[in-house]
This record gives sequence, structure tokens and C-alpha cells, in this order.
Amino acid sequence: MASILLKNIVKSFGSFVGVQDMNLDIVDEEFLVLLGPSGCGKTTTMRMIAGLEHPTEGEIRIGGELMNDIDARDRDVAMVFQGYALYPNMSIYENIRFPLRMRQVPKAQHDERIRRAAEMVELGPFLERKPGALSGGQRQRAALARAIVRQPQVFLMDEPLSNLDAKLRASMRVQIKHMQRELKVTTVYVTHDQIEAMTLADRIVIMNKGVIQQIGTPDDIYSNPANTFVAGFIGSPPMNLIAGTAQNGTFSAAGARVPCPANLSGNITLGIRPEDCLVGGDNLQGLVYGVEPTGDITYLTVRTANKTVEIKAGREFRAPIDSAIAVGFDTSRLYFFGEDGARVGGN
Amino acid sequence: MFPYLLVGPAVLYLLAITLYPGLFAIYQSLFVVKFVNWSWAGLGNYMRIIQDREFWAALGNTAIIGGLSLGLQTTIAMTVAFFCYRDSFVRGWRIVFLMPMLFMPSAVAFIWKLAFNDGRVISDLLMSVGLVSNNVDWLSSIWLARLTLIVADVWQWTPFLFIIFVGALQGQDEEIEEAARLDGASWSSIFWNISLPMMRPIIVVAVTLRGIDITTMFTNVYIMTQGTPGGATETMSYFIYRQGFRMFNFGYASAASVLMLFITIVVAQTIVKRAFKSGKS
Repeated sequence: MASILLKNIVKSFGSFVGVQDMNLDIVDEEFLVLLGPSGCGKTTTMRMIAGLEHPTEGEIRIGGELMNDIDARDRDVAMVFQGYALYPNMSIYENIRFPLRMRQVPKAQHDERIRRAAEMVELGPFLERKPGALSGGQRQRAALARAIVRQPQVFLMDEPLSNLDAKLRASMRVQIKHMQRELKVTTVYVTHDQIEAMTLADRIVIMNKGVIQQIGTPDDIYSNPANTFVAGFIGSPPMNLIAGTAQNGTFSAAGARVPCPANLSGNITLGIRPEDCLVGGDNLQGLVYGVEPTGDITYLTVRTANKTVEIKAGREFRAPIDSAIAVGFDTSRLYFFGEDGARVGGN
Repeated sequence: MFPYLLVGPAVLYLLAITLYPGLFAIYQSLFVVKFVNWSWAGLGNYMRIIQDREFWAALGNTAIIGGLSLGLQTTIAMTVAFFCYRDSFVRGWRIVFLMPMLFMPSAVAFIWKLAFNDGRVISDLLMSVGLVSNNVDWLSSIWLARLTLIVADVWQWTPFLFIIFVGALQGQDEEIEEAARLDGASWSSIFWNISLPMMRPIIVVAVTLRGIDITTMFTNVYIMTQGTPGGATETMSYFIYRQGFRMFNFGYASAASVLMLFITIVVAQTIVKRAFKSGKS
């Protein structure tokens, strides 16, 4: 078990900068999720921790020890890959045994440790099979078992659930979280799926274009987004962002009008989450663009002059397309962002 | 009918150059043939071949020269491929490595004949670095003569295996290699435990193809050694050629060809079958 410290990390690929001046302190036993869109630098960051990439500048420490010049095989980290990366020529038993063999763990311990790891991921009956004879979920569990069998200091997981179907993903999420709590191993988890990030993380790091946008607990990130990128990335559907102007304590945009802090003026972006909008009210006028009942909730899309706004309406809500609709906002839950996208007020 | 007419010429052509000579050889092998005089021999040619020491010697030579050459080519190709398959030059320019294969076999044989025997280039080189003190007569010793054939074959055909092995290694999932590194495996452990077993089917196919090709080694023998010294470099192809076109025992040569074909098929089939069977389990 160990803490991880990234200090002023820069990673360049020729003239392209993949990660810019990154500072991150991951505490012992923490479950940290790196979240961001494709190409934001999250996987590069993880690969640098693993030793599969070398930082152009900066320091990486695991358990206080400088890791920059230490080869991947000598870092005590285990990684679960997106494509599972199981050895196709070996049985699952041999796959799980491989790290024990390579690290010269006494043979007498092998069988017990392999079976214990397989039990943890409920893979006991499949140990003699080859990876090709297992389903996607079983393969992913085999990859997890291979990672946990050697009791590493750090787990790294690179989008481990992205190849699974939605139902399996949900059950594997619970399993991974449970396993991490039980093993108490510092875990860095990379994903572009915000639901995974919100449900698994102790803390989330949101990245974009190689730069950390915000670090915080899932609640913190949801309730207090630092900028429009974070606001627009977290939430399903994400926060509505409406560009307009603020003047004399009022924010106005085409079809929208809400009170705002008196100190705001000029070009401002209003943020409001879909669940904080109500059908009826006088903050937004528009036309019904789409109504999507899902059973427990109905998603309503309202079109204003230059923008569509998502609203979580009641489960019974129905309205004809293109009918006029008025929407009210919970004014205690408004967010305001400046021209550079940074949060300037609200909530 | 029209589709059959369209493929007809190609099929006829193929049959004429493959099936007809094959069947003709089998037919001829049952006769004692002296030009236009054919006399029925039944399995007589085969019975004589089985008792012919020269046939067995040629078979043994083919196995020794072919086996050593194939072993050497495979080892060199695999080693070089493993050390450079991630190299960007090899990735982009691997076609360059095929150059030796593109030369005409007889030209290659003449080059090596010059280098070893007529031009004494190799001897001079060895003398200049002090490995030998006198000019080496490569055809004076059984093993030196065989070595010249092996060197020529290795030079020309190692690239073929190299290119296949590089392709196979480059096609491997990089994540698997990275996973093995993180599991604590050294480069050699990755090679022995992961890359090599994963490449097994490709290696078997490539080596079998090359092996079949080596058993028909003729040009180098014909040009470089002519089977000397004392028949130590006479391969099966050269034996068949000698029987057919030097001694004009056409029936006998045909019988030897049929036997050789049979042996090659059985050996290749056994190897491929066993390799794929154990790969599956």
C-alpha cells in the first residue's frame, strides 16, 4: 500500500504536449479516478505511473520513492487493461500464476494465492480454461485476479469496463469497489464514463487537453464545478449552459431571464442542471423539441432561440412537439461562469 | 456452362503442368525406361531403390544439409526479428530485407561458388583475420562442402523467415507485452513464455514451407558442388537428376521422385498435424 505523488509532470510527444505541469497527491488506500474525454492525457498519466511511459519533466513517487528511472517491471504496480491483455496461450490458472512466477514467489504459495484471488472474483470454476473460452466479463475478472494475486502496492485500471455491456458493467463496478475496499490498495482508475467515476471514486480528477480541470470528491465536483468544462462533463444529462449577458443583477439570454449576483456583468454563461428545472415558471420560454419517457422519468428538450435545454420532467409529463412551453429554474441552484469558462458565482 | 468455359483454360493449364507430369511420373516409375524402350517393371524400380545405398545416402544428405540449414535460418531469423521488430526502420523498410530472395537462385549459387571455391574470397578473408593459415579447399572435406551449401541457403532464405517472424511479432497485441512487463517479466521471459508460444502456428507453417523447399535443393548443389566430395553433398533432387539425365534411368528417377514426394507429404503432414493439435489443447 502506498501513496503516489506526481510533481510538475510534463509529457510531450514531439511538439504535442500530452500532459501539462501536473501535480497530484494520491493518498494511501485512496480510489482515485482520472476522468476526461479521449485524448485528455488520463491514460498517459496512468502509463507514466506504471512506467510504460517516461515523463518528459517532473517527478513520480510511489510510497515516497522516486520512480522516474525505475523500470515498469520493478515498480510494484499491477495494471488491468482495457483489452484485458490475458496471455492467450495460457490457462486462466497460468495467467494468474504468471506474476507469481516472474516475481519468484515461493512455489508452495502459488496454488493457495491463485485460488484465493480467483474466489474473490468468482472465477473458481473456470481456472483450467483458456481466455478464448471465456466471456468478456469472465476475462475481465481473470485480469482482475491476475492483478490482485501478487498484492501490489498500487492498482492501475485503464478503462477496464469499457468493453462490457451496460448490465455487466454495473455489476463489475460494485465488484471492483468492494474488492478495493477489502484489499485496501491505492487505486488509480481511468475512465471517460462519468457514471463510473461518480460511483467508484473517493476523489475524481477531471482532465482536458492534458490539464487538470478540477480535483474533488464526486459530490464536490457535482455540486461545485470549477468551470464550464467540468459542468458540461459531469451529470447525465449534463448541466445546461446558456450563454448570455449579466447586468444590474439580471442574467438574460434569448428566451431566458434569471436573477444573478449584482456584481456580475458582461458576457456570462448560466449553468443549470436538468433536475433543477421545472415545467411551468417564467425563467425560460421555448418550444418543445423532444419528449423522451424512460419509465421513471421523462427527459424533455426545449428549444430556445439558439440553444436546446434539457429538463428532467415528471414521469407523467407529455407534450406535443413544437408546442410553446415555459420553464422555471430553481434559483438557489444556478451557476455562473465568466468568459474564460471559470466559475464566477452562483449556488 | 459459360462459367465453366471461362475457368476452363486456366484449369486445363494447371492440370497440364501439375497433374499430368505427376501422373506421368507415377506411370513411368512402373517401367524400366531407356528412351523409347519401355519395359514393364511393376514395383521393381521401387524395390531397387530401397536397396540402393546411394538413395539412402542422398536422403541422409538432404536431411543433414536441410535440417542444419533450416535450424540455422530459423534461429537467426527469430533472434534478429525479436531484437528489432519494434525498430521503426524495420517497421517501415522490412521489404529491404527481402533482397537476397529476389536474386535468381543460379546467380546466388554462382556468387557463392566464386566466394568459396573459384574466387577464394572466403579463404582470403579468413586468412586476413588469421583464422586459417592456408587456402581452404572447401570441396575436400564432407562437412566443409556441406557447409558451403548451408551458408548459401541460409544467406538467401533467412530473410523469408525473418519477414514472417517480424510480421508475427509486430502483429502481437502490445498490451499483452506491457502486461507481462508489469507482471515482472524480463524481455527473455516475455519471449519464451508469451511471444514464442503465441507465434507457434506461424512458426510451424513458415518452417514447414521452408522445409519442403529445402528438400528440393538442386541449383546450389548443381552449381557449387555437383554432389562432391564422394556424394556427401548429393541431395535427393540431385540424385534424381543424376539418375534421370546423366544415367538416363528415367523409370528409376521417376520412382525416386514419387518416393520423395510421398516422404515429404508424410513428414510435413505429421509435423503440421502435431503442432496444431498440441497448440489447441
